[in-house]
Amino acid sequence: MFKLSKTLILLIVIALTLLALAGCGQPQSTGSSGSSSSSDSSNSSEQASSDDVIKIGTIGPLTGNTATYGISTKNGVEVAVDEINKAGGINGKQVKLFSEDTRGDQTEAANAATKLIEQDKVIAIVGGVLSSETMTAGPIANDAKVVMISSSSTASGIPDIGSYIFRNCLSDDVQATQLAEYAAKDLGLKKFAIIYTNNDYGLSLKNAFEAKAKEVAEVVDVETYNDGESDFRAQLTKIKGFGPDALYIAGYYTEAAKIAQQSQEQGLKVQILGADGFYSPKLVELGGKSVEGAIFTAGFFADDPSESVQNFVKAYKEKYNSEPDMFAAQAYDAAKILLAAIKNANGEGGEALQAEMAKTKDFPGITGNTSFAGNGDAVKDIIILKVENGKFTKLR
Amino acid sequence: MRMNYYLQVLTVLGINIILAVSLNLISGYTGQLSLGHATFMGIGAYTATLLTLKLHVPFLLSLIFGAAVAALFGFIIGVPTLRLKGDYLAIATLGFGEIMKNILLNMKITGGPMGLRGIPKVTNIYIVAVAVVIVIFSLNRIMISRVGKSFIAIREDELAAEAMGINTTNYKILAFVIGAFYAGIAGGLYAFLFRYINPNNFGFMKSIEILCMVVLGGMGNTAGAILGAALLTVLPEFLRSVSPVISQYRMVFYGLLLVIMMIVRPQGLLSGTSFYPRYPRRLSVEKSAGKGGQ
Repeated sequence: MFKLSKTLILLIVIALTLLALAGCGQPQSTGSSGSSSSSDSSNSSEQASSDDVIKIGTIGPLTGNTATYGISTKNGVEVAVDEINKAGGINGKQVKLFSEDTRGDQTEAANAATKLIEQDKVIAIVGGVLSSETMTAGPIANDAKVVMISSSSTASGIPDIGSYIFRNCLSDDVQATQLAEYAAKDLGLKKFAIIYTNNDYGLSLKNAFEAKAKEVAEVVDVETYNDGESDFRAQLTKIKGFGPDALYIAGYYTEAAKIAQQSQEQGLKVQILGADGFYSPKLVELGGKSVEGAIFTAGFFADDPSESVQNFVKAYKEKYNSEPDMFAAQAYDAAKILLAAIKNANGEGGEALQAEMAKTKDFPGITGNTSFAGNGDAVKDIIILKVENGKFTKLR
Repeated sequence: MRMNYYLQVLTVLGINIILAVSLNLISGYTGQLSLGHATFMGIGAYTATLLTLKLHVPFLLSLIFGAAVAALFGFIIGVPTLRLKGDYLAIATLGFGEIMKNILLNMKITGGPMGLRGIPKVTNIYIVAVAVVIVIFSLNRIMISRVGKSFIAIREDELAAEAMGINTTNYKILAFVIGAFYAGIAGGLYAFLFRYINPNNFGFMKSIEILCMVVLGGMGNTAGAILGAALLTVLPEFLRSVSPVISQYRMVFYGLLLVIMMIVRPQGLLSGTSFYPRYPRRLSVEKSAGKGGQ
């Protein structure tokens, strides 16, 4: 029994050490209000006491192999927060941002959300970035009546976590469905062939596109490939036999460019269609003439001439010296929607903020006008782009 | 129930302690390198979750049933693979983990890559604390019994153990089954804490994370496994709140700690002070433990 008690003593020591840490951690994180967040060093709000600031948080992977998404998201939110702070804040109060890293791990996402809510006392969170993060962090925020808006968790079921959970992004279903409708009605295409990459992204695009296309026109053939492949001649030969007038490529730009090239080599004359996986300058670089005229959906268009988009792109480039991507743009919009709702709720969190968020209607963002459906999911128009003279132009 | 941040970390720690001590039983005491421990956790988590969501089985029952199914898988996997040794066993357990992950990813009932959500929140710090105490207590009882001695004998010298009349394959399978049972409990607790599971939570990286806890704390030492679990769970969270600079690079510190540890103390933090002394004192300890335990 001696051995057992020794082990138990160790357990108790660990528990006590943690509680001791808990004791000294609390004042530290609220006391050093400016320094506990790495984000707002450029703001003048550092000396402001906690009563004069409105605290919001972000969670997402800032390290690990999904870090690019998380960092873009955080940057997008920071641009939005800077903008509002420069304009005098919300009702005279500055907005302070707390960014927590999750490593892309759902356990850490739950910890990070709990920390933001219980320690930093944020009134709203932008995040999580990955769907699995939002799945574990969401219920925590919902229980605590903290509004959470994810700008990139596309999985189904996210908005159903609870009434405090909102989402501002382009779901795979919506973009494929809208493109199928556009292609059939506006472009007058009739016979569709589909080629998709065999992962969850390709599969959900293909399913949605196929369902809608069958409804409004005809789907003659469906083929598949794996990411990283470079020879698609077998599939394309088969597709050619069916004589389609459009080819929907549900995949990413690298393979899409090669598919477009090889279909041209094979004399397959079709309208190339795609999704947001096309949206990269690399598409034109790799595909050259063969992707000319390709039409695809996107959540954000950086070359959009409208003033709000160009202001965002300029501010983002100034601050981070890089081009904003879709993640940054959607996060920026999510933060703008959130900040507008906070303003309407007079800086209050909880129920008041939830009510204001739910009221959001046709919010003019850089990723299109956004409203929320009853469950908190975004309803927005999809941007449709076309490759013209090696450049992207906006069709809709 | 809303949870304080520190209680949340403490609860996660409790789950990690169960995982680390159960892997320690397999890898530390019995000396069988397993790279698929998170898989047993996953089996426990999925079984408990499905029982609760689809059949409305009460929490405790589904937790125990989940652990039992994990133990059953431990048996099924153990029978063919535990005839293998060392690296070969490690590769076989690795393969098993990948197979289970792909099965979970492709089955309809497990929700595929979307996982299972809407799990009720039941796990709290008290339940985890009770589970940790029960697991460690029962593990200690096992380790001071004949069975435990046999485990250690297998680790020290399999041939000699066999010569002493220990059926090494059976005892190795037993260690696997017990370890898998505990991991299944941890998985159930995990599912009912986070209310969402998907196959990626129980992949290779999680197995390695558990192994790191055991190696860091000291193989073959329950207290070491607990300490390892505590360090690797608390450190990333602690570094989060120290200062923004450190918080930005906290994963660097995490990795640095592992590297330094392996250079300075490759046997692990507590390995030298094992609670179960090595030869030749063991015989006398066994006698006194036998008397004292009554």
